[in-house]
Amino acid sequence: MKKVIEVSNLTKEYKSVRAVNDISFDVYEGEIVGLLGPNGSGKSTTINSILSLLSFSKGSIKIFGEEMSPNLYEVKRNIGVVFQDVAVFDELSVLENIDYFCGLYIKDKSVRKEYVEDAINLVGLLDFKKFYPKQLSGGLLRRLNIACGIAHKPKLIFLDEPTVAVDPQSRNNILDGILKLRSEGATIIYTTHYMEEVEILCDRIIIMDKGSIIASGTSDELKELANIEEKVSVHISELSDEVIEKIKSLKNVEEVNYNGDVLVVIYKKGEDNLVKLMDFLSKNKIRYDKIFSERPTLNDVFLELTGKELRD
Amino acid sequence: MIVFKSFLRVLNKNKAPVILFTVMLVIFGVINFTSNDSTDVFTSSRPDVLIVNKDVNEGITKTFIDYISKRAEIIKLSDNESIDDALFYRNVNYVIYIPLGFRDDIINGNKPSLEVKSTGDYQASLAQMMVNKFLRVVNVYSGDFNDEWQLINYVNSTFSNETNVEITSKLDVDSLSRMATYFNFMNYTMLAGLVFVISIVMTSFKNVNISKRTTMGSMSYRRVNMYLLLSNLVFALVFWLVCMILSFVLLGDILFSLHGVMYIVNSFIFTIVSLTIALLIGNLISNKNAVNGIVNLIALGSSFLCGAFVPVEFMPKSVVNLSRVFPSYYYINSNELIKSMEVVNFESLLPVFKNIIFMLAFVVLFVILINVVSWKKRRFA
Amino acid sequence: MFIHNFKYSLKTLFKDKILIFWTFMFPIILGTLFSLAFSNIEDSEKLKVIDIAVVDNGNVVFKNVFDSLSDEDSDDRLFNVRYVSEEEAIKLLESEKITGYVLAQVKPKVVVSNNGINETVLKYVVDEIIEYQSIVSNFLASSMHEIRLEDIQMSEFVLDIYSEVSKKMNEEVNIHDISSENLSYTMIEFYTLIAMTCLYGGIFAVVSINNTLANMSFKGARVSVSPTSKKIVILSRLLASYVIQLLGLVILFLFTIFVLDVDYGNDLSLVVLTSLVGSLAGLSLGVFVSSIFKSSENTKTSILIAFTMAGCFLSGMMGITMKYVVDSKAPILNKINPAAMITDAFYSLYYFTTRDRFWFNIISLVIFSVILIVVSIFSLRRQRYDSI
Repeated sequence: MKKVIEVSNLTKEYKSVRAVNDISFDVYEGEIVGLLGPNGSGKSTTINSILSLLSFSKGSIKIFGEEMSPNLYEVKRNIGVVFQDVAVFDELSVLENIDYFCGLYIKDKSVRKEYVEDAINLVGLLDFKKFYPKQLSGGLLRRLNIACGIAHKPKLIFLDEPTVAVDPQSRNNILDGILKLRSEGATIIYTTHYMEEVEILCDRIIIMDKGSIIASGTSDELKELANIEEKVSVHISELSDEVIEKIKSLKNVEEVNYNGDVLVVIYKKGEDNLVKLMDFLSKNKIRYDKIFSERPTLNDVFLELTGKELRD
Repeated sequence: MIVFKSFLRVLNKNKAPVILFTVMLVIFGVINFTSNDSTDVFTSSRPDVLIVNKDVNEGITKTFIDYISKRAEIIKLSDNESIDDALFYRNVNYVIYIPLGFRDDIINGNKPSLEVKSTGDYQASLAQMMVNKFLRVVNVYSGDFNDEWQLINYVNSTFSNETNVEITSKLDVDSLSRMATYFNFMNYTMLAGLVFVISIVMTSFKNVNISKRTTMGSMSYRRVNMYLLLSNLVFALVFWLVCMILSFVLLGDILFSLHGVMYIVNSFIFTIVSLTIALLIGNLISNKNAVNGIVNLIALGSSFLCGAFVPVEFMPKSVVNLSRVFPSYYYINSNELIKSMEVVNFESLLPVFKNIIFMLAFVVLFVILINVVSWKKRRFA
Repeated sequence: MFIHNFKYSLKTLFKDKILIFWTFMFPIILGTLFSLAFSNIEDSEKLKVIDIAVVDNGNVVFKNVFDSLSDEDSDDRLFNVRYVSEEEAIKLLESEKITGYVLAQVKPKVVVSNNGINETVLKYVVDEIIEYQSIVSNFLASSMHEIRLEDIQMSEFVLDIYSEVSKKMNEEVNIHDISSENLSYTMIEFYTLIAMTCLYGGIFAVVSINNTLANMSFKGARVSVSPTSKKIVILSRLLASYVIQLLGLVILFLFTIFVLDVDYGNDLSLVVLTSLVGSLAGLSLGVFVSSIFKSSENTKTSILIAFTMAGCFLSGMMGITMKYVVDSKAPILNKINPAAMITDAFYSLYYFTTRDRFWFNIISLVIFSVILIVVSIFSLRRQRYDSI
């Protein structure tokens, strides 16, 4: 498969802080790569360095096989960027905004007209063409923001937290749109701290913390890193220490936590863990409200690797 | 306390423009004050005259120059452009060009001629009167006396008789008008300073408020507003105090006179008026970017129209009538009244009290408007 | 690409209501204020008819003089005189109905309440009466030896001299007024207004540059990642800013010329040149402020406005004397102040017949602009930033 981005030994220092510390990774054609990490982990810095917006201390960045630089217009023509903040002109309508930004890439007016229509359809803003940004809700504004970044049909798209503070309907629209872009052949770099989105969308995930890549791989590969197989949560209002000890000694149980409200039992491996726990509870005549079993999440992986939560 | 702290926080956040603005206002005030000092036309009855003498500086020509020097402020400038500049900006009211042969013409009994440049204002008219008078007197004598020495003697003796003038007023016009200048300018300082800072804070507060709402949950909307009002009041008082301290620095202890105290009281009342104006505007606008425009519009507008920069007596009647709708008119009117007040007693202060009542009426009006506006905003938000 | 950017820049700038207010409406409102406040000032500085009183005690000389100077049909009318008793005169003076009163007696006396121009004029006139007497007595003294008492009646002789002196005193004197007709100093106010508008126009440049630089806004970042060269984007945006700036200026010119009656001299092409160069100075100031300071757009516009206001203040916007004081006491201050350069250029066009000073100002403005633009280019050339 063709490499679209090759990052090697990228290091970026601000005054005394190392925002990005010697990271290397590749992105292949047609992939959706998730860049995951808490705030301040270096995701945006990495992306801005790749885009040649930031100067960096060390390392090299190649896009479509060429060393990236600010004047590499042929490469830039094929890149689309959706920034974290909504960056549109309040004075221009939805249509004009998209046309303006698309116009920075596409000269031909008739082609541009078609592309702008496509972008509007993709993000579902057809009914809002003539609206001004001030008249749009937060979710619609985000969609406009995305349309402005991708209208020129780029082959490589950077999406920096495009779904922050977005209502569920807009979020679904955005996620569908991203999948559609990929199906049309685009390679996508996606940063977020919503793990669910990453799990739905991404072929491959890179987890960053404190400027370094701490893990990468597919969702399943990453989950294997976390020494967890199953996590069962039970809502119980009262539980004695004695019973907790008993649960700890049950088969396959790795860890037991009780906070006075929810009992969390973590299993390393094994089958029918949930059924066995329910049996135990009813035998001991312990009443509970809710019980459910979870597969490990990326948050658990992150917790395992760094000892802290992904989202603060 | 939370509200006051937030107030300070907001102020701190905007410290760059606030400091910039305050420093600018103070500098404006000081420069304006010190430069105005020398050009106050009312205390001077000696026009500024510039003499360009192409003739000899002897005999009757010298007599002429001495005659003018005794009655006018002589300005000395050398090149033509500076002279023209000085004339345009009224630093010189009248320029006299004495041609070569001026003296000879007089001695020979011919009518001398002069070239002059004049600003055409009353100072220039006064200078014109002087020159006219001299030429006429010389004219009267020169026909009959062609001995220069005798001529000079007669001319001098003619001008040596001066009228006995008695001045009835005991007012220290000079320092009183200095004070009036300072306090009139304060109209601009107060309005610009308070409206700028308070509207910046109020607009920011609207945003802060949303997040703060949870932490101040126990406080009612009314109470938050109450504290906000208090914080603004404290700020206004501090701002006024700064202006007062500056006035002591610039004017000295004349401020402790009865007149001075009246100026101070008047400016205090006006501070309250400015505060309510600032609050009203802070409530009305929600866009921080609009603040600058509104500040300049209100501060400059009312300062120009009400006579903070240009004395009211120089303005057309219609404008003065129009300016009565601004509270600044009453503030400045009081300053002018105090300036020319011979004795300070209840009777003479009556018009000043009247102005204060007008200003307080504006305060009441603005407070009502503030309540209406914030009530409407809350309902239709 | 240039046209595309230019077109959209015009659109965005035009629709920014606050910007348009600042550059289009604010000067017009301010100009109207100026004209309201100043329309009368120069007339009111001309000498007006002065209210006085004379306590005449039957003195004919005084009555003659003051009556002739109070003649309502004369162009040279100085006084509005009333003849009253001393008690009444005191009352009139106290109630500020008159400037002062004259006690017509052998040694005449003037009573006034203050120092001032009107008071001085009154004194001058009374001086003149005394001087008359002095002249007559001088002539009398010098002619004494010619008089043979038996020949001529004394009083007749005095009257002769008196009429002779009167005749000579009333002869016209040769004074030629060579002052320029264009002496209306309130024009300076309007010139500072134009200067202010030129410099405020820099706000458009601030906004434009802010929207183009990646380290200032996300819109700028968006432009930076596109394959359009930064040079083209900046130039097209600045051209759009300049066009709007000039449009605002044209409107202001039309308004000041046709509504406010402002006089810009006779050379229209040079007025246009001054506007073009002045706006360029504003534009470069905007570019400079927005590329050098790394702060919010709001702070940048505050800096620009503060600078403009301070500049206009020194050029005489809040008191025309200020410009003269600065020009003569600290000329360097106004040599580097673009507002003063613009004001002074208009002033030169209006007041002077030679053009040296005008060109000096134009060249200063060009130098000012070039320096700021060169400095800005160093910062604008950067494509990658340390932080954004």
